Amino acid sequence: MSYSAKFKDHLAHPRNAGELSDANAVADETNPICGDRLRLSLIVKDDRIEAVRYLAYGCPPTLVCGSVLTELVSGKTTQEAKQLTRADLLDAIGGLPSRKHHAAALAIETLNSALRNR
Amino acid sequence: MPNAVRRVYLDNSATTPVDPRVAAAMARAVVENFGNASSVHGFGQQARAAVDRARREVAALIGAKQNEIVFTSGGTEANNLAIRGLCEAATAHGRHIITSSIEHPSVAGVCADLEKRGWEVTRLPVYQNGIVRVEDVAAALRPETVLITIMLANNEIGTIQPIGEIGALVREKRNVRFHTDAVQAAGRLRLNVDELGCDLLTMSAHKLYAPKGIGALYVRRGVRLHGQNVGGHQERERRAGTENVPGIVAFGEAAKLAREEFDERKVHDRALRDRFEKAIVERIPDIVMNGDRERRLGHLSNVSFRFIEGEGLLINLDLEGVAVSTGSACSSGTLEPSPVIRALGVNDELARGSIRFSFGKDNTEDEIEYTVEVLVRAVERLRALSPLTLV
Repeated sequence: MSYSAKFKDHLAHPRNAGELSDANAVADETNPICGDRLRLSLIVKDDRIEAVRYLAYGCPPTLVCGSVLTELVSGKTTQEAKQLTRADLLDAIGGLPSRKHHAAALAIETLNSALRNR
Repeated sequence: MPNAVRRVYLDNSATTPVDPRVAAAMARAVVENFGNASSVHGFGQQARAAVDRARREVAALIGAKQNEIVFTSGGTEANNLAIRGLCEAATAHGRHIITSSIEHPSVAGVCADLEKRGWEVTRLPVYQNGIVRVEDVAAALRPETVLITIMLANNEIGTIQPIGEIGALVREKRNVRFHTDAVQAAGRLRLNVDELGCDLLTMSAHKLYAPKGIGALYVRRGVRLHGQNVGGHQERERRAGTENVPGIVAFGEAAKLAREEFDERKVHDRALRDRFEKAIVERIPDIVMNGDRERRLGHLSNVSFRFIEGEGLLINLDLEGVAVSTGSACSSGTLEPSPVIRALGVNDELARGSIRFSFGKDNTEDEIEYTVEVLVRAVERLRALSPLTLV
């Protein structure tokens, strides 16, 4: 399958790229098999995600999953964010070929890791 | 088209656009030379004459004789015929093959398959410059060696192997035959099979501005091959099957044009390549050029961009209409960095960030300028995203 228009848009125009120097929840996860890496930094205030930034290294789905994830979690409570699944992220992207689903798994894992690391 | 973007094709090592003159010759052959080239009647003889003319042109491209050219469906089939055909015909002498660690999959795959079936395979290293050492070839030779198969120029990094020197080494060995995959080199380097000293040489038409589906194997007179396609007398019993007359005619026309326009194309491609490399070296920090700087094809640049991954860059360029390629592939969560770039001894990050830009006769200076602008932006954007740039 070819990538969706949304996928291409996020690849060409990543949202919320970078790091937050005053983040209070940070995680940096690497897929041990393919080496793809995602880094999330969040500012959580009164249990709500006020700001989020990401950095990513890897194949295009990993870059795009990071970008879309930041849009999905922005403004959400931590409880809402924790309920996000790989399928939610894949839906938001407009789908990914099954061989690229590991990118969404890495994004969700990094999010959960950040929320644990507060 | 509201979203029309400019399109720049810089993947000429993957395949080339069909030259309109080649397409016209092919179209004429489709209509006018429909006869079966094996038929005795006039229609058949007309097709046979067209095939013979093309065979002369293809032979002339590499300094071979007409009857030493076997047409195939492409480079992969020619490599299969060369390696399997030779090994199967030479079992009485031994079952040892010498090859390099940077061969195209159509050579590496056949060697691996023969290995499973009892042949021994020595894969020579290429060192940091991407070039096989002749002394390693000499050291690998054994009494039971029947075939050396080493490519003429590499498809990913363009490095040119010391084929003439290996040919000279092999000339003294009676039972050792020498095959070279010249798919990337034919038409881009001046080749002469006698100077190269090879017994078998592979070519593919679609790298020479002809369509896919046609290639050729040069087989030196006296070399015994076990045919892989059997059931017909075509191609001197080496490749059974009704000749693909339009494809062969296209290959002949492409070979003729490649000879006639050799210098012009060489100068043109090299100038674009050099202009491109000069611009990116000036404008993009943290890049590594892969492969020997001198002994390489003039139309190709292989560059690793630190901190970013090749596929991400490739798709970013594609979104702006620039077509390039990467040897790395990430699928099913498994990373497969380019085996060629890994063979140079570079680390995984650089191997993952390698991109091949290959230029052709139809590219323009303006396209290079556009590509550089797009590339600078894409690299900046991806690096801004990359956690590897964090200190």
